Amino acid sequence: MSAILEVRDLRTQFDTLDGVVRAVDGVSFDLARGETLGIVGESGCGKSVTALSILRLIPPETGRIAAGSSIRFEGEELTGLSEQEMKRLRGHRISMIFQEPMTSLNPVLTVGTQIAENVTRHLGLPKKAALARAVEMLDLVRIADPGRRVYEYPHQLSGGMRQRVMIAMALSCDPQVLIADEPTTALDVTVQAQILDLMLELKEKTGTAIVLITHDLGVVAETTQRVVVMYAGRKVEEAPVEALFDNPLHPYTRGLMRAIPRLDVEADAAGTRPRLQEIPGLVPLLTRPIIGCAFAARCELATDRCRTTPPPFVDAGGGHIVACWEAKP
Amino acid sequence: MVAIADDLPLPPRRFSLGTAIRRNPTIAFGGILLLLLLTVAIFGPSFVGDPLKIAPVNRLRPPSERWWFGTDQFGRDLFTRTVYGSRVSLIVGLSVAAFSSLLGLALGLACGYFRRVDGIVMRIMDGLMAIPSILLAIALITLTRPSLFIVIVAIVIPEVPRIVRVVRAVVLSIRSQPYIESAIAGGTRNAKLLWRHVLPNTLAPLIVQSTYVCASAMLVEAGLSFLGAGVPPEVPSWGNIIAQGRTFFQIAPWSILIPGGFLALTVLAVNLLGDGLRDRLDPRLARRL
Amino acid sequence: MTAYIVRRLFATLPVMAVVALFVFFLLRFAPGDPAAIIAGDDATAESIAAVRAKLGLDRPVVEQFLLWLWGLMQGDMGVSIFSNLPVTRLIAQRLEPTVALTLSTLFVALALAIPAGVLAAWKARKLVDRIVMGFAVLGFAMPVFVLAYILVYIFAVLPMRTDWWPLPGLPVQGYRPIAEGLWPFVESLILPSVALGITYMALIARITRASMLEVLQQDYIRTANAKGLATDRVLLLHALKNAAVPIVTVIGIGIALLISGVVITETVFNIPGLGRLTVDAVLKRDYPIVQGLILVFAAAKVLVNLLIDISYAFLDPRIRY
Repeated sequence: MSAILEVRDLRTQFDTLDGVVRAVDGVSFDLARGETLGIVGESGCGKSVTALSILRLIPPETGRIAAGSSIRFEGEELTGLSEQEMKRLRGHRISMIFQEPMTSLNPVLTVGTQIAENVTRHLGLPKKAALARAVEMLDLVRIADPGRRVYEYPHQLSGGMRQRVMIAMALSCDPQVLIADEPTTALDVTVQAQILDLMLELKEKTGTAIVLITHDLGVVAETTQRVVVMYAGRKVEEAPVEALFDNPLHPYTRGLMRAIPRLDVEADAAGTRPRLQEIPGLVPLLTRPIIGCAFAARCELATDRCRTTPPPFVDAGGGHIVACWEAKP
Repeated sequence: MVAIADDLPLPPRRFSLGTAIRRNPTIAFGGILLLLLLTVAIFGPSFVGDPLKIAPVNRLRPPSERWWFGTDQFGRDLFTRTVYGSRVSLIVGLSVAAFSSLLGLALGLACGYFRRVDGIVMRIMDGLMAIPSILLAIALITLTRPSLFIVIVAIVIPEVPRIVRVVRAVVLSIRSQPYIESAIAGGTRNAKLLWRHVLPNTLAPLIVQSTYVCASAMLVEAGLSFLGAGVPPEVPSWGNIIAQGRTFFQIAPWSILIPGGFLALTVLAVNLLGDGLRDRLDPRLARRL
Repeated sequence: MTAYIVRRLFATLPVMAVVALFVFFLLRFAPGDPAAIIAGDDATAESIAAVRAKLGLDRPVVEQFLLWLWGLMQGDMGVSIFSNLPVTRLIAQRLEPTVALTLSTLFVALALAIPAGVLAAWKARKLVDRIVMGFAVLGFAMPVFVLAYILVYIFAVLPMRTDWWPLPGLPVQGYRPIAEGLWPFVESLILPSVALGITYMALIARITRASMLEVLQQDYIRTANAKGLATDRVLLLHALKNAAVPIVTVIGIGIALLISGVVITETVFNIPGLGRLTVDAVLKRDYPIVQGLILVFAAAKVLVNLLIDISYAFLDPRIRY
């Protein structure tokens, strides 16, 4: 498998009143063709900014991708492309769906228009053909009566349907990469499962590689093949999904796992299950450079070395790498 | 948690005029400009001559060292007249702002608070709002003898509905707040409720709105005087000076452009002050305009 | 939809009733003796009595009001005190120039202010934005007649009196009906429209910018950008259509500015429209004409607001009646 997307040393920074925020601080990963990669972490760890950075959608007034960052798509360096060239790429070869289906669709345009304009823009289809394509796409994401629905406005659709529309829109030009930023977080649990199943099924059909960004390890376990764990703007661990769940190496990853409710753990004699544990402490401020390991302040294993020297990645074999001085691979 | 709060020293906060001006450039600029104009309006007339003194020999002189702003067709010194004119503009602007704010506040509080009053008063306000303000003033003036007081009354009437609407909206939104509802349920008296909770909240939008009313009043007064329906012609107001300059505009453009420039500058100062206050006091409104 | 329009049309009735009551009772409750004031300073007792009779001030208020209202419903607004001509006819004669001036101003103002506001929002805090907003702040403070005379100076006085001035001369006096040819008609409206429109433009440019700024932060704009749409489509379709409701609202509110400005603009440029009629009537204290004009202007404003209310339904599919 050759990588379709290679991200190297991505640094994205924002100017705020309190100083420069290093939202993403040297993240690297690869995405193989047709693969589903999960990026997981707490809110504020930089996973959404990573997604926006790949499409270069960081608002230029406040933020920037720092020099030295590299994002290669099919071997082409995206950080050097002009805005016009990026526009031709977005929604066509790399597309994106967002967390809030309620607010991510334009309320004053019909869903048909919103899907069709993408097709017209990138595939040059005339209006009528583009609208026919929109109907086809709505059918593909299993929206009933698509011929009528194309003429409806977002407020006439339920949350789940809107996310289906978002997916239809994102896939309408057969992209090679789909970036899904918390696609199910805002939805009901039952609808979440349907949307995830739909995404996986469509991925099988179209061969689109997916970057799935989520804070939900359950979603990661169900849908992805490989996982990148992020903390405070940095990648701390990366592994094939089974390896990660069988043998989480980074103390932060372990902390995340302990925070998942589990049904497979037996209740003890008194009938109580082990309590869910949360990771003590807070994410460090990103306005000042972090010396040493970003997690050191919250880590029970932290030593002086952790606080002064950033840990290098250690290869645990089988594509499992971790950045921790104390992890025993 | 504590560990992080520790290494976050807050910058020391001391008041400094320089910082205050840099933070609110529009308030500072508008305020200073307005203070200057106020000074001229209050003290200026004692230092200049008689604004009504006619000197036909010196008619239509362009601005020069002797007549800074030139003279009009009667040889009257336009600098003197412009200085006097600032009085009329500021008196009208400030008193219209004050009267319409008080009246509007009273009506707005009543409307927001008493359902029965609301229906009637708001119908009347809708009707008044339908009449363009200058026409409403004109109608009133047609029926009375011209005087500064009548002009002020004529401008106050169309401005009141604007204030009423703002105040009423604030009162209604505050009344639906949980803390007010619980105060009502707890048996707090109406008067106390109005005084302690509602009134303070109306102040910021009221102040902002009244600066706009002040600017608008100055423009309407000048417009009325320009049309010959404002303050009596023997009172030098900027609108009057401009109206009298019309006939000889081609050869004496200064008689219109200079007082006109002062009028625009004054309105600009008030508007800037209003914009600055709005950004500062009423961020919700600030985002909308 | 039709039901809504009819309902809204009925809702304008109380507003117009208040306006009618106001102009009617203003005459009765004005301080002093309006009849004496209208008759003039050198009036005799007989001429004052004549004016009083003409205004109906000698009859009981209720009777006079009902008579007046009855006439109003049949399109009779009374007669001018001085010319004895029906007010309705006087107004009808002067309608065309005012309608032409207002519409051309509306057109010029919207065509300039909305793009300027969109541009300012797109380039927020950049140079273009500062220039546009600077003009808006100045325009908002600029009295109509001062700008009008500045324009007259630039486009009439200077071209005529100097030979070095590069700008062409433009007509600054009077109005040419469209029947006399398109260019003379348009030419006669250029300067008055600019003078009249400046405050209105400032208002609309500001609300357009503010409304666009708010919309541009929305998630669906990010979606549109993530689709790689062309900037003009994002701005003019995705953003502007969402920003339209507040803009249209202010377009409606600003109509009052235009109507007030018409009175002044027509005076400066000697346009024989309703504004001139108003001023002439005021100077002669011809109250029936003033009364009629207020009713007409108020009706125009109410009608515009009605149109604006209806337009919301076309701009925002979430609004249903």
